[in-house]
Amino acid sequence: MKRRDFIKSLAASLVLFQPTSFASELLSSNNKIPQNSLSTDKKIIWVVLRGAMDSLHTVVPTFDKNLPLLRPKLFSSIKDNLLMLDNRYGLHPSLQSMHQWYKNKELMPIVAVSSGYKKRSHFDGQDFLESGLKAINFDSGWLGRAVDIKAKSALALANSMPISLRSSKLAKTWYPSRLKDADDDIYNSLLKMYQNDKVLQQRLTEGVSVQEMAGSMGNSTKRKGKFIELSKACAKLMSGKNGVDCAMLELGGWDTHNNQASRLKRQLSELDHGLTALKTGLHDQWQNTVVIVATEFGRTAKENGTGGTDHGTASAMFLAGGAIKGGKVLGNWPGLKNQQLFEQRDLMPTTNTFSWLASLLAQHWSFNDEQLSVVFPQVKKQKIILV
Amino acid sequence: MSQLNGVIATSRFGYGAIENELLLANKSPKSWLIKQLSQQPAVTFDEKLPHSNDVFAQLFEYRKLKRAQKKAQTKDMSLAEDKKIKNPARKFLIQFSADTLMQAIQSNHSLNWRLLDFFSNHFSVTAAGPVMAGIAPTLEREAIAPNLLGNFEDILLSVTQHPAMLIYLNNEKSFGPHSRLGKRGLGLNENLAREILELHTLGVNSGYQQSDVIALAKGITGWSVARPKRNEGQGFVYRVNGHEPGSFTLLGKSYSAKNQQQGINMLKDLANHPKTARHLCYKLAHHFISDTPSEKLLAQLTRRWMATKGNIKEVMITLINSDEAWQAQKQKFKSPREFFISSLRALNINDATPYLSGKKNNSVKNDRMHKKTHRKPTSRKLINTLTELGQRPFNAGSPAGYSDKQEDWDGSSALMAKIDWIANLASKMNSNAETILNNTLGDTASELTYNMVLRAESREKALTLLLMSPELVRR
Repeated sequence: MKRRDFIKSLAASLVLFQPTSFASELLSSNNKIPQNSLSTDKKIIWVVLRGAMDSLHTVVPTFDKNLPLLRPKLFSSIKDNLLMLDNRYGLHPSLQSMHQWYKNKELMPIVAVSSGYKKRSHFDGQDFLESGLKAINFDSGWLGRAVDIKAKSALALANSMPISLRSSKLAKTWYPSRLKDADDDIYNSLLKMYQNDKVLQQRLTEGVSVQEMAGSMGNSTKRKGKFIELSKACAKLMSGKNGVDCAMLELGGWDTHNNQASRLKRQLSELDHGLTALKTGLHDQWQNTVVIVATEFGRTAKENGTGGTDHGTASAMFLAGGAIKGGKVLGNWPGLKNQQLFEQRDLMPTTNTFSWLASLLAQHWSFNDEQLSVVFPQVKKQKIILV
Repeated sequence: MSQLNGVIATSRFGYGAIENELLLANKSPKSWLIKQLSQQPAVTFDEKLPHSNDVFAQLFEYRKLKRAQKKAQTKDMSLAEDKKIKNPARKFLIQFSADTLMQAIQSNHSLNWRLLDFFSNHFSVTAAGPVMAGIAPTLEREAIAPNLLGNFEDILLSVTQHPAMLIYLNNEKSFGPHSRLGKRGLGLNENLAREILELHTLGVNSGYQQSDVIALAKGITGWSVARPKRNEGQGFVYRVNGHEPGSFTLLGKSYSAKNQQQGINMLKDLANHPKTARHLCYKLAHHFISDTPSEKLLAQLTRRWMATKGNIKEVMITLINSDEAWQAQKQKFKSPREFFISSLRALNINDATPYLSGKKNNSVKNDRMHKKTHRKPTSRKLINTLTELGQRPFNAGSPAGYSDKQEDWDGSSALMAKIDWIANLASKMNSNAETILNNTLGDTASELTYNMVLRAESREKALTLLLMSPELVRR
């Protein structure tokens, strides 16, 4: 059986039980009428940096006199090579492509943002950021609620569904594997065996359909889960007629309690290379794309005793992509004087991460206020033009 | 007699039945489990593998050789092609991790191995970088296994004083600002202290404050690791010069003991704190029973914990004796690690071994090599497979460890990876699916599963369907 036929029969067989939204989506995609490309082609890529990225070492406020005092070692490790954005902020030297994008007005850093989570636990902080609600809901993520409202297709480049997309039936997961694919015949029999097990049945259907999309990529991406490889795969899975509208990527390793200068140099260059691979892989689609890069919280304003920084509060986020009206740094600078710091220790948040995401959804995916209140019930959107 | 309780005992508490185990367990499921908890020692490893002290010594030796080679090379360019000196850490990581897997696969008391894995993940350390790669896998062997069925405070203390944890969470260079080392510019690092409170003991949102993090961080300043070149001995070392002087208030209680004892007192109190009891009992019930353990069970376990000073064996007995443990419905997806181990137990590792070795088709050059590769799966192959399934050992990447929630393991790509692995393995094996079905599920297989396995068109397909059946993918 050809794989495409197999998926059709698989989708058809699902209808017998209960047409999951996924199956009906599969069925409808087989005789898809070209939709008006303007609204449906607008893509969003959500990149979560796990471990709390240190914004003061990434989007560096060179004008703040307190920075070299708080961070004598860390600041001096980069200050001569910063990639200046304007006369106030400089990007870390590893962010070469992102600097170029800034000049091309395709990048918009936002400083001193926070999700509103203030307790400094990575795992809670990430769950909070992904959930987007007043209190963490492990079963519902902001992006999942957003794609459901607009019936967008979504894909997480992960082994299992991250919270960000968890509530959506339109979301799937994909992760590269070196194992040889089993025969379609096996999938078919398994599907029959899973007829009384809704979860296994749905996962198998999703898995086979995503495998088919990935199958056209050949073996090049069936390798390790490096960020750059995942980014390349992500771009491919978003391209073409059946490409997904929305994807999520994750990059860990930001918890720099020690040796931060060398660790962030590596991390940021991995990020920069991955985002570059996204742009390259998306070709013309880049013009319709917004990449959002965010982290669960920031780090202490002061460097610690081991050449690193500890858990803090506000950090920075990035909006990038051809759709972005970039070339400026947004967000208000709170200052680094002791009394300006949150609990006299962390960068003070001046805007809420979700307020930027809300205005992005409004402008890029035409969300109205009522729809936004479902995605982010607790925040008001920013009134600044982003795209 | 229905074999349901035997299946529950072997798969909810153990890593699934090996040959003949189901019949044994089914006779008296509770006492079969409780007897495992009296095993002395609880788990044993391959004695030929080195201690962390030896790993450090070999790493030190490696660096010395490497430096010498570099020096010689800069003097004489012709030496540049000289033989490559390999870092031994990666080799150790593979050997240690594979040993734990092989022991668990072959064990007839796999409940203890499940417990070891639980605590190893509770005190998760990641093998990142040349030092941690060699040291991370020694934490479960040296600090957790010897205390596995004892009191939690002993596990907590051994773990917190083990080089793997001290280095992983940066405490080895955390010194008090007012200590002698602190005055020379070395400072406090609160990473380990924060994770002890948040992950290892009280749990997140249990009400501790930033000031408590700092107090504990100061209490364990100077807890460090010996440096081979300094002739300081081996393993854990207390650096009195780096300890912050003074008394500190943790959770409202003042700790004025001097030196190392200050941190020890803090950790002991934390280990026996009601919130720690609650946190750990929740995690245990969540791990073994279901993602939504009842309040009644949690209260029962927590009471037992408080009454026995956090005795793991006693708490486990309470868990085993609870009604909730024996609910018929499967409650959780197996994690990739659980699935990997239980599949190899079901298949019988001796039968599966030639096909895991990865060297089956290579021409065997000489007898020595032949002996080495014929029956023993290469350790690397075991680890690589588990990596493909999504759970490389000592690679959680965060001190919170791998998730224990089933929704984190039931993604479609995780399922596809399992199917692909099992289908490939099954295509090479001659095992009888019906025998394996009887050994693992007994009379509890659903009619659908039973019929599909027995009526499968080939041996290979029957085996794949069985191992991927809802009954064996869940527990």
